[in-house]
Amino acid sequence: MEIGPILRAIRRNKARFGLVAAEVALTLAVVVNCIALIVDAREQMARSSGFDDDALLVVNSVPFGEAFKEEAYRQNALQADLAALRATPGVRSAMNTRFVPWGGGGSSQEMKALGSKGPMLRTQVYPADDGLLETLDLELTEGRAFNREEVERDSRRVTELFAHDRPRGPDGHPKDKFLQEIVISRHWGEEVFGPAPSYLGKMLEDSDTDQYRVIGVVDEFFNPYPWPIHENVVFFANFGTSYEGGTRYLVRAQPGQAAALQRRLEEVLNRSNDQRTVQVQLMSDIKQQFFGPQRMTAWLMGLVAVLLVVVTGLGIVGVTSFLVTERTRQIGTRRALGARMGDILRYFLLENWMVTTLGILVGVGLAVGLNVALLTVIEGAKLNPGTIIAGAVLLWLIGLGSALVPALRAARTSPAVATRSV
Amino acid sequence: MFGYQLKTAWRSLGRNPGHTAIVAGGIALGVAVSTLFATVRHSFAKDPIPGRSHVLYNVRLDNWGPNEPYPGGGPPTQVTYQDMANLMRSDIPVRQSGTFKSALYVFPDPTMGRPTKELIRLCFADFFTMFAVPFRYGGPWGKAQDEKAEQVVVLGKQMNDRLFGGGNSVGRTVRIEDREFKVVGVLDDWRPNLKIYDLTQNPVQEPEGIFAPFGLLQPMDLRTAGNSDGWKTQDSPGQASFLASENTWIQFWVELPTEDQVARYKAFVDAYTLEQKKLGRFQRPLNNKVQTVGEWMAERRVVPKEATAMMAVSLLFLLICALNLIGLLLGKFLARAPEIGVRRAMGARRLDVFVQHIVECELIALAGGAIGLALSVGGLWVVNQWTRAITQRSDFFQIDWKMAAFAALAGLVAGLVAGVYPALRVCRIAPATHLRMQ
Repeated sequence: MEIGPILRAIRRNKARFGLVAAEVALTLAVVVNCIALIVDAREQMARSSGFDDDALLVVNSVPFGEAFKEEAYRQNALQADLAALRATPGVRSAMNTRFVPWGGGGSSQEMKALGSKGPMLRTQVYPADDGLLETLDLELTEGRAFNREEVERDSRRVTELFAHDRPRGPDGHPKDKFLQEIVISRHWGEEVFGPAPSYLGKMLEDSDTDQYRVIGVVDEFFNPYPWPIHENVVFFANFGTSYEGGTRYLVRAQPGQAAALQRRLEEVLNRSNDQRTVQVQLMSDIKQQFFGPQRMTAWLMGLVAVLLVVVTGLGIVGVTSFLVTERTRQIGTRRALGARMGDILRYFLLENWMVTTLGILVGVGLAVGLNVALLTVIEGAKLNPGTIIAGAVLLWLIGLGSALVPALRAARTSPAVATRSV
Repeated sequence: MFGYQLKTAWRSLGRNPGHTAIVAGGIALGVAVSTLFATVRHSFAKDPIPGRSHVLYNVRLDNWGPNEPYPGGGPPTQVTYQDMANLMRSDIPVRQSGTFKSALYVFPDPTMGRPTKELIRLCFADFFTMFAVPFRYGGPWGKAQDEKAEQVVVLGKQMNDRLFGGGNSVGRTVRIEDREFKVVGVLDDWRPNLKIYDLTQNPVQEPEGIFAPFGLLQPMDLRTAGNSDGWKTQDSPGQASFLASENTWIQFWVELPTEDQVARYKAFVDAYTLEQKKLGRFQRPLNNKVQTVGEWMAERRVVPKEATAMMAVSLLFLLICALNLIGLLLGKFLARAPEIGVRRAMGARRLDVFVQHIVECELIALAGGAIGLALSVGGLWVVNQWTRAITQRSDFFQIDWKMAAFAALAGLVAGLVAGVYPALRVCRIAPATHLRMQ
């Protein structure tokens, strides 16, 4: 083996080999962190909401007609809308709610287990009707969701619950107490009650001392929220509509029908009442917009990583070519003394492999350091050993591949070179 | 001497155009990527209203509840109606305006389109001068119209196009909700990079299309369409109680041209708070902020963290590009050793040789920087297309003279990083060794 001569050659050419090692180290550090950013972005984008995202449409209806100022008129219009939406061919199910998945926000509220001395905990809170499970494609783990009578009954009560004019006692709490039936996510149950085999019948209270009883638990729920409460949700039964805010529906299309429904739903609703504006959005568009920054990060970091690998590969080709040219006569001498082409090839590849490995060792340290620095600026893109190993293997291959061309040229050096112009 | 070095460097570059192209290309790539990411970051971070930002101050008071601080430590991002009204009695600011947005129905002439719900900005007359809002026709309303809460509006350019098909529509009327408004001004194209006067939500949103006097708040029973943060339940329903509540929902700005006025205004705000404490309000420790545009942008974290992280990565990319060129330049320079030997023997000092090679590197670097700048313009065009959904426009990320200077500097630094070691090596060549070989 030529390890001895290689080590001596490296020691005598510290700058040049150091350069290759430094390039490899820095490239590894940056590429691995680019990959970490891409993996993080892709993981965020691949996170399942638990809903049938591709089949969902969001329908907003905002009235301007004077007639809409009356609650009774609005409620009638809402029922007419739901009936029209559900009767449209291609619609699988529809519900009235304020909830928009992947909207980047929503509404939230603080609650705690009834009688608990602990702190208030925050959860997302949305109204829902009897179309909840079918429209959002949620699975119950226990209990049941709302039926139509309950939604109608609770709508009247919820209107009062959220009114500002509830008579209040001297302690600031409302004098009358509400008891509301709710459907929760299992994650919220675990957070507020602790792990338990069943959350059915458990009670919650809010800061106004209103109470809530769990009648159903759904398995999976995920909606990114500005606060870390993405998986907490409480649904209450309500048909909700106001003059200022209008009303909103979620529609689940039959498979493959969502895009076609976008125009059709707008026409259907405008035909049923034209004293308002109707806007229909595809959930896939909303999601696309929500993940805009992540997608851009992934693309740009991918571009940087690819360019970097190419640049470093070319750099290694350059330095190795130079080393080959410089040693042409020595190679000729070795060839003249009986070294075969394979020996020369092996020498240069081995030399390159040793330098690359040194660079990779340093690079792993740099990568971790850079990642720590990055994590002080942004969250999430944490390095894992798999990424580092993948990066190291990539750079070994790049190193060997780049050295191969000049090494083959070296191997082809004719022994006769040694006899010329010494 | 420098002229000679320049000429020699130029000739050397021409002797091996392939090599020169690769080195320039490497620098161009590094400059392109780092300029692209620097511009992405800069587009958020740059001064949103040059020439005005040093006199504008955002005012916030800590009226939060006694039990826990406002999330993040406070004060809240906006002020209450009562505090805005009280603070505006001060005559220290040269100009001042509270402002909020409301969503209202606008009824165009039926020939022009269906009614739509639009975001309308309510503000005081000073707002337009404070934020350097450019007018095409007419101008802002006056203080008298503020006081009488007259039904007047200023229209944005696009809104004027939609409502009236463009042109000078000053004096015409537009129906908003159930009232007729007289147009007093039409804006020129106004698309500041940041919606600096309201950073509470998406900071890159375009300005609202319609502006109307703040005083319409009560007669029209308006509500905010933006954030409203409160810690205490409102005493009773209705707008009067909301306006008297601790809900914060108004962005409040003052113009203070001198340091002295800033100091006096800060003292005034603190004195006001202490006085309110006697009335049982402001139960938290004194924590008021009168902040410059830059401070307010930093506090609202206008610059996305990802942009900063990606810029750091792109600078490393530039460094690696430069490192890769060291090997190439070393090969080229050392191949020239016999020629250097002759020059050294003829009396060229080491310094001359060194400078000559650095000049050669920097010539390539300048060319590379220029190509890189051009490439980054192309890259930004692509990025602008990708981000349209977020920025609502296709020219958000733009190279300005600062970024052009950045590209030039990045190229020169990369040239130095790549060139210094090879130039040092080549000027250390002993004349004798190579002369012998001739």
